[in-house]
Amino acid sequence: MHETAANSVQFIDLNLTSIAFMFIVGFIGGLVSGFIGSGGAFVLTPGMMSLGVPAAVAVASNMCHKFPKALVGAIKRYKYGQVDIKLGLVMAASAGVGVQVGIKIQEWILKTWGQAGSNLYVSLSFVAVLVVVGGYVFYDACRISKQRGSEEATGLARKLQKINLPPMLTFKTANIRISLWFTLPIGFATGMLAATIAVGGFIGVPGMIYVLGASSLVASATELVIAFVMGFAGTVKWAMNGMVDIRLTLIILAGSLLGVQLGAIGTTYVKDYMIKIVMGTIMLIVAVSRALAVPRYLTDLELMRVGPTTLNILDKASFIFMCLALAIGAVIILGAMWRAKAAEAKQAATVAGPEESYGRV
Amino acid sequence: MESSMERFTPDPQEKTEASLMAKGLSVPAELVRTNRKILVVSQEAGFSDSVLTYATNLAERLGYDLIAVNVGPAAGGQGWQAVPYRQLRQAKFHLKACWAMRRVRQRLAAKGLRFEHQVRFGTLRSVIEQLNHDKKRIEFVLNASAASEAEMLGGVTLPVFTIKAVQGKRIMTQQEIRNWKLIGRTIGWGLATVALYAAVFINSGSIMTYFTRGGLYAALPIATVFAFSYIHGTFAHLVWEVLGIRAPQQTVQPRPTAERPVRRQRPQPRLRLNV
Repeated sequence: MHETAANSVQFIDLNLTSIAFMFIVGFIGGLVSGFIGSGGAFVLTPGMMSLGVPAAVAVASNMCHKFPKALVGAIKRYKYGQVDIKLGLVMAASAGVGVQVGIKIQEWILKTWGQAGSNLYVSLSFVAVLVVVGGYVFYDACRISKQRGSEEATGLARKLQKINLPPMLTFKTANIRISLWFTLPIGFATGMLAATIAVGGFIGVPGMIYVLGASSLVASATELVIAFVMGFAGTVKWAMNGMVDIRLTLIILAGSLLGVQLGAIGTTYVKDYMIKIVMGTIMLIVAVSRALAVPRYLTDLELMRVGPTTLNILDKASFIFMCLALAIGAVIILGAMWRAKAAEAKQAATVAGPEESYGRV
Repeated sequence: MESSMERFTPDPQEKTEASLMAKGLSVPAELVRTNRKILVVSQEAGFSDSVLTYATNLAERLGYDLIAVNVGPAAGGQGWQAVPYRQLRQAKFHLKACWAMRRVRQRLAAKGLRFEHQVRFGTLRSVIEQLNHDKKRIEFVLNASAASEAEMLGGVTLPVFTIKAVQGKRIMTQQEIRNWKLIGRTIGWGLATVALYAAVFINSGSIMTYFTRGGLYAALPIATVFAFSYIHGTFAHLVWEVLGIRAPQQTVQPRPTAERPVRRQRPQPRLRLNV
């Protein structure tokens, strides 16, 4: 049965352009996910599909590159003391349930409203979640950077931490003590989103920051653990069906392992609100990109009439915005790293002159 | 306030230098040359990292210059007394010491410290005496060698401080070697990565047939990506390391631990009955 499934799928022939595209997107995606804990998948999957890779193979190959990348990133950030493994595993367990429920909802929508309905549902959830959560993350990051303050746990997180609802869990690295019952919905929502839009981190990281009260450094690093567990489980499922194109996976991995380490190193240079800025920016731009895709699905469902030329332009614009989101994220990360390094060198170069040491002589 | 501070600066030249700097004027070269200095002495072809960090921080804090000297063994006499083997060893010592200092020089230049490195041969005593004569205003000597303070000073009156804290690994000489090692390792892991990629893409036909069979064959792609993430991951780590992009390490200044006074055994008061 497996063989027939695999044989019916066309694996593409690789050329230099497609290899270069996947390597570069892999690198930038890796950089972003090493920094904010997730990302890259939302460009890679549609990108691969535009190269002619069947949807299932694109998703499977992408997932197969995601978990080793997350593993390498998580190990690197664990060395910097940013990963809370316990929190990651608790979240991953509930996210697993979320994924299953998410898939069931997808299937039900597919059955009821067909492919266009399913696409519309995906796009609308993208837009809704990303605008609300991304907007808040971005607003919060701007607020902190303007006040030049440091991160603090939100009022909500502090209230929830005070509620003693057993079983209480202590997360040492994240430095929080909170009831299991509050971590479950966050993990569940992460899984749901992962099943719907393939990037669970857009809920998981803000959830850990604003609801549980972890710092953005710890939250983004812990997301890598969740990504590893979920990516691994997903890959096993897809590989059992013979859908993983190992060539695609390895090309993306070639770029993303370089990127993820650079992103992880980046977190040690920059101020902690930079993670929120990058995340908020990417989420908002991706939201625009998905919003541009909505008219096509509405036309397919005959709820709206738009000409095919306009639809084509919108499709292209949507993909360009998607790439733009990733590129801008990467530019912000590299820029912040560059500035931090330059400031460090400048500080090292300032010598304490005799006056500074003795006072006025 | 000013008059009380002047007591600390008996040297009139110092005052001119400081006042020039205070006015934002450039300090003439002859004044610069006579800035106060710390002398760091080692009998090896390098310095331990902690000693050098300590000396650097101290020089930075006090606004002193730094002179590092590696003192090698004497070569014997000239002419018929010359020993070629010793001369060869000296040449090697010189090369090694200069090589080790290359990196240190960059680090100190970034901090804006005036720094001089010398390699000399002979006894510690003669070298320090000579240096004290050549370089004016050496304020004190930091001893990074195994020699005792009495062995270091002959006819010179200078305070000598021996850094007794754990001196750490002697990385100054090894740093360059280690850097080469790092590059070597990077190339090694890079070759391994290329070999793996080549193995997969040359045999991509048969690999794709087996890897997409599904079922238990699912273990193949998963094992492959684990192997790649280990080998290529290590290579990627080393690439950034070689390029100097790494998490900033906090430089910890070694603090000499003060010796605690020995606790005396005091006689405990006891109740006694004198009947």
